[in-house]
Amino acid sequence: MSIALLLTVGGLTTTGLYLITARSLSRIILGFSLLGHAAVLSLLIAGGSPRAAPIAGTAEQMSNPVPQALALTAIVISFGLTLFLLALAGRQQTLSGDDLVEDDLEDGRIANAQSSEEDL
Amino acid sequence: MIPVLLAAHLAGIVGASVAGYRSARAGLLVASIPPAITTIWALGQLNSAPQQAFYELHWVQGLGLSLRFSVDELALLMTILVSGIGVLVFFYSTGYFGSTAGPDARFPSSLLAFSGSMLGLVWADSVWTLFIFWEFTSITSFLLVGYKHVEDSVRIAARRALMITGAGGLSLLAGLLLLVRESNTTILDQISPATGTVGTVAAVLVLIGAATKSAQVPFHVWLPGAMAAPTPVSAYLHSATMVKAGVFLMAVMGPIFANAAVWKTVGAACGIASMLWGGIGALRHRDAKLMLAWGTVSQLGLLVTLFAIGSPKAVFAGIALLLAHALFKATLFLVVGEIDIRTGTRDIAELGGLWRAMPLTCAVATAAGLSMAGAPPLLGFMAKEAALEAVLGLAGAEQLVFSCAVILGSVLTVAYTTRFLITVFGPGPATVVSPPRLAMTAPAAVLSIAGIAGYIFVAAPNRLVSNAAIELNAAATYSLIAWPGLKTAFVVSLAILLVGSLLGLAISRQRVRPTPGSQGADWADAAIDGILTVAPSLTARIQHGSLPVYVVTMTAMAALATIPFLSEIPYLQLDLWNSLIEPFLAIVIVGSAIAGTFVGSRLGAALALGAVGLGMSALFVSYGAPDLALTQLLVETIIVVAFVLGLGRLRQSFPPVDTTWKAARIVIAGAGGIGVTLAIAAASTSPTGTPPLADVSEQAVEEGGGKNLVNVILTDLRALDTLGEVVVLATVAIGILALARINQTEVA
Amino acid sequence: MTASRSSIVHVGIRAASPLAITVGVYLFFAGHSQPGGGFAAGLVLGAVITLRTVTGLQRPTNATGLLSSGIVIVTATAAAPLIWGGTFFDQRVVSVELPVLGTVKSGSALIFDAGVTIIVIGLVIALLDGLSTSEPSAIETDAEGRP
Repeated sequence: MSIALLLTVGGLTTTGLYLITARSLSRIILGFSLLGHAAVLSLLIAGGSPRAAPIAGTAEQMSNPVPQALALTAIVISFGLTLFLLALAGRQQTLSGDDLVEDDLEDGRIANAQSSEEDL
Repeated sequence: MIPVLLAAHLAGIVGASVAGYRSARAGLLVASIPPAITTIWALGQLNSAPQQAFYELHWVQGLGLSLRFSVDELALLMTILVSGIGVLVFFYSTGYFGSTAGPDARFPSSLLAFSGSMLGLVWADSVWTLFIFWEFTSITSFLLVGYKHVEDSVRIAARRALMITGAGGLSLLAGLLLLVRESNTTILDQISPATGTVGTVAAVLVLIGAATKSAQVPFHVWLPGAMAAPTPVSAYLHSATMVKAGVFLMAVMGPIFANAAVWKTVGAACGIASMLWGGIGALRHRDAKLMLAWGTVSQLGLLVTLFAIGSPKAVFAGIALLLAHALFKATLFLVVGEIDIRTGTRDIAELGGLWRAMPLTCAVATAAGLSMAGAPPLLGFMAKEAALEAVLGLAGAEQLVFSCAVILGSVLTVAYTTRFLITVFGPGPATVVSPPRLAMTAPAAVLSIAGIAGYIFVAAPNRLVSNAAIELNAAATYSLIAWPGLKTAFVVSLAILLVGSLLGLAISRQRVRPTPGSQGADWADAAIDGILTVAPSLTARIQHGSLPVYVVTMTAMAALATIPFLSEIPYLQLDLWNSLIEPFLAIVIVGSAIAGTFVGSRLGAALALGAVGLGMSALFVSYGAPDLALTQLLVETIIVVAFVLGLGRLRQSFPPVDTTWKAARIVIAGAGGIGVTLAIAAASTSPTGTPPLADVSEQAVEEGGGKNLVNVILTDLRALDTLGEVVVLATVAIGILALARINQTEVA
Repeated sequence: MTASRSSIVHVGIRAASPLAITVGVYLFFAGHSQPGGGFAAGLVLGAVITLRTVTGLQRPTNATGLLSSGIVIVTATAAAPLIWGGTFFDQRVVSVELPVLGTVKSGSALIFDAGVTIIVIGLVIALLDGLSTSEPSAIETDAEGRP
């Protein structure tokens, strides 16, 4: 277990969490990407120590291929998510001229209804 | 047979809805079929050798999540009551709603839904099954109490009933969870007797559940309100069956809590208070139905007291009284319903002299009433005798307290029974009545005759009661005695009858007072209203609508949850790095991530993200994962291009952020990062097994025909995951195209 | 579109395209025994298309056709064994002699991988299509009426 890798995961998670709490959608996208990297790295770490590439018949000691397969899926899904969020940011830009994430309107209505003593 | 019967109830609900759309009568008749089948089956079980019907439907085996039913002797007795009275009530309802009633799908189907839920409850053999069906009965009861939902008062009464029984259900769940945790099983039969503090807490929680369901002081306030339901519902749910669920629970749980002193004291206190307060309530009210409802509170109080005492004789008496009460109280409710329909009133000030106008009904009611008062020669007499013997047979202070309470309660019972019979049927100006309806008289008569027959052919009820009692308490080898002779209990019984009837006569001669207010119910409603005001303000606070604050809250909670991991990390097993390139790459990756976080321009951020991706690729190579490295590299290329294309027209720099908020975010993000690091360190340093490398390798070459294990896993061994993955990608693509198309149409 | 008008770039990309496509095809076939595979191949081919689109050599079209055919291929590969009584995703392995690559031992997994490749290419084209239509200049011109 390598402390360097653990700290990398920690650093990526911290920056990722910081970014997804931002208001700007492009920052949130960055944050999601960094969190994705952190997740992939965690999967690899969980698979055990680094060894030779998992190609059958090439080495005595191979890395564990199962976490790698999971990590590959994670990379692809995080890729798809990033692309979709980018398209969403573009759409937000068209609508409001910026890519800020506004407060949820429905939730806001609940809060307002309470403060003005309205009947829901 | 159990799944068949439950499925028959489900099918019956659908059938009753469909038939109910044509006419209410058809719906009711269809709905009576499943209870009829169940009754016949249960009666058949009686004659066969004592073998338990059992059925288990697994859901999650490892967690003990299963629907588990077993029909033991007590459950068989309850089944006969639930389904047998159910059939009669459905038949009675056809008369209650009359031949002119329009289509009605709701009443028959919800009444049948209740009937099925009640069966599930009494058959339940695992705590989860018990809880689920317990809640089903609360919900169906709510639907039935709120049947005439156009009236405000009815809706409030239904809401009160639901909130009180529902809250009791949660308390019961908490108690059951404690028991499950203590004895490591969810099977009711196998739960070991509870002891110590946990046992005490669990006992109180379960008692609260039982007391809410069985309308015990101080939770009794919902039961009089529930009389807003149509009378068949009151007769069925709120006297014969559902309110018995709490008592049934106490009977089943009694052996488990035999060592918990609080079970006896709190249970008995609750029961005695209900017995007395219910009796007084029955004497104060002028609505015949409410008199009976308060009488039910009182009778249930006696039952709860008996099961709280838990001695063999008390358990036996409790079960006998359970049977007798279901018969006579349902009869009386059915009679009141008939009077209500035929005279148009239930107010005893307006009723009187009905013995001439409705002689058959009068006879039925008198027989049932005498059974309730505990007069021979009726089933109620034998049950009451057993109860008196049980409390008189105790020793010391217990004998004094319980005997006095039960005697006093019985005197009140005789008194309100006398008052009911005299004010409704006794002397007075005869009330005008509409023609008789056989469908309403017959079911009441059947139940009433059952009370008489139970005395004459004492062997039949005796078999039911004594078997169930022995099952709960092996020492309860008693039998019902038709004529005890001049024993103490019998003398006391006669004295109770004499004093009680004199008291009842005296009260019924008095002028009828106006209906007393229901302060308890008002308080309950005020509490519920309070919840309804607090809930939105709390929701407004929690659900404020700000995404960043939601994320920060969740991160903070998740970070706190990792604290227990601190002690589980073998710090000495940690190396600084696997290879020298790792610290270098770690610095590149984290440095680029930090740069990307704080860089002002969007393009810079995108490039920093690209740098992180490249660093990751290099790390993958050093980790023996060439596939990951290759994919990461290619993905990164596309993403950077997409960033440039997609965000090219946004402002160059990010909007400014408030400094305090920024600091808070940094702190929380840091905590989250530390939490994740700790969790992963703890998780990956303690593997639960060795990876099956040889197996996977062999499988890949043999079955997948490939040597690249990662690729074979993705396209062969775990191809279903990949299928899901590419479907996600295709969905993303369609989403991107759709978003672009909206832009185009708006621009155009 | 950030189209470069430089002819050197154009010529360079034109020359590099066949090479990159060859790399993509190699990755696709090698994937079963060497690093690579359908997803990587799709990304390489997608990158070629991206380059050509960004430099204005071609316009992104017909992503939906690729996406739907890809989905049909992967689901058909998954479900086909059911027809002859196998289980879902039951793979057939065959040995094929191919030039350059030598003996390729592969089977229905290869068809499945082809479907993955096609879907990834479709995704990249959809991305180019989607993001380039919302180009700032086009919107500003149309929305504000400026030429």
